[in-house]
Amino acid sequence: MAGLANIRKRIASVKNTQKITQAMKMVSAAKLKRAQDRIVNLRPYSMGLRTAIADIVVSHRVSHPLLDQKGESKKILLVIVTSDRGLCGSFNSSINKYAYKYYQENKEKYEALDLLFIGKRGSEFFRTRGVKGTETILNLAKEISYSMAEDMALRIKEFFTKGDYDEVRFIYNEFKSAISQDLTSEKLLPVDITYSQIDSEEHSFAKDIIFEPAPEAMIEGLLDKHFSTQVFRCLSESVSAEHGARMTAMDNSTRNAGEMIDKMTLTYNRVRQEAITTELTEIISGAESV
Amino acid sequence: MRLNIVTPTKKILINAEIDEVLAPAFRGELGILPGHAPLISTLDTGVLKYKLKGSSEYKKVVISWGYLEVTPSSVNILSETAEEPFEIDLSRASKAITEAEKKLATGDITLVEMEKLQRKVKRARLRKLASEESGAKK
Repeated sequence: MAGLANIRKRIASVKNTQKITQAMKMVSAAKLKRAQDRIVNLRPYSMGLRTAIADIVVSHRVSHPLLDQKGESKKILLVIVTSDRGLCGSFNSSINKYAYKYYQENKEKYEALDLLFIGKRGSEFFRTRGVKGTETILNLAKEISYSMAEDMALRIKEFFTKGDYDEVRFIYNEFKSAISQDLTSEKLLPVDITYSQIDSEEHSFAKDIIFEPAPEAMIEGLLDKHFSTQVFRCLSESVSAEHGARMTAMDNSTRNAGEMIDKMTLTYNRVRQEAITTELTEIISGAESV
Repeated sequence: MRLNIVTPTKKILINAEIDEVLAPAFRGELGILPGHAPLISTLDTGVLKYKLKGSSEYKKVVISWGYLEVTPSSVNILSETAEEPFEIDLSRASKAITEAEKKLATGDITLVEMEKLQRKVKRARLRKLASEESGAKK
């Protein structure tokens, strides 16, 4: 049986760990709130852009390289969004597993299937498996901002317009609620506007609208912004999901630590009692023999 | 007529009843009164003014690149950034101007960066202007 002092030490150490996990949980909860607000604030803007593009494209049959559907995609850029830091349950591992499987299954099928990592966890996972990405972007979790997403979007868009890739796909965790994330694989480029057809009918969009400048000139800017917004949305979703996942993970470990402390306290008391009993028996038998 | 102004990070106005909007549109300032023909335009960096229903005073918002849509019942504005005068930090705006100008002067930048910095300077100037004007009124 373990010595009393030993058990006491272990209890103290678990208690410390519990304090840390508790604090981490609270920090994540606060960050989650902010990240969620960001998504909510973004929504009207992205919806507005979406309908605007749909309206113009449907009513004027404008075409644009970013809209082109060249049929079957051959060269694909996978953007894998993970977090920089761990301790968030299966948040990263599920993404990595999915992306790795996708990569293994499809790399023969396409002319090119390159990976771009956002977040350290994904890039390290693939590096240990000997897969190199084209680019790695780190330090996402601190504070993501729209201008940062915009820079990123511009860079990715350049790959696309240069013809390096004809499809850009994002793999990220979509925020569902604090306890659940949805692994999402979404095609961001070329911009898909098929969903708008139904929408535009009820929108009753008149053709005699005044355009300043011409719709063809305007669509360029709108598509750029749309893509930036989408990138920003994916990042925001991922960051929210990360904080949510970490919050749940830390909540679980706090609870586990509590259970462990209870169990150890029980053992501790039992051992202590035993020691006292033995001591007493010794004293009594000693007294009797005198 | 209702006015919506939204940016990627915040909602400035949602369904606010207004009498008039003056927007820095593609071809110069554009005044919109109720009953305006349907219109879609891009917006330049500038000061957007609007009058709330029944009020005689213009409220100002400094916006950057944006998109404006006039429908029979509402004016929708999507803008990259939007700031109301009370949010503007004068000293920060001045600092932004000097910093950006310094960078521009070095000449060691790409075209894209240059454009970005120029926009930044313009925005900061407008910010200063807008907040100084509204400050003078008080």
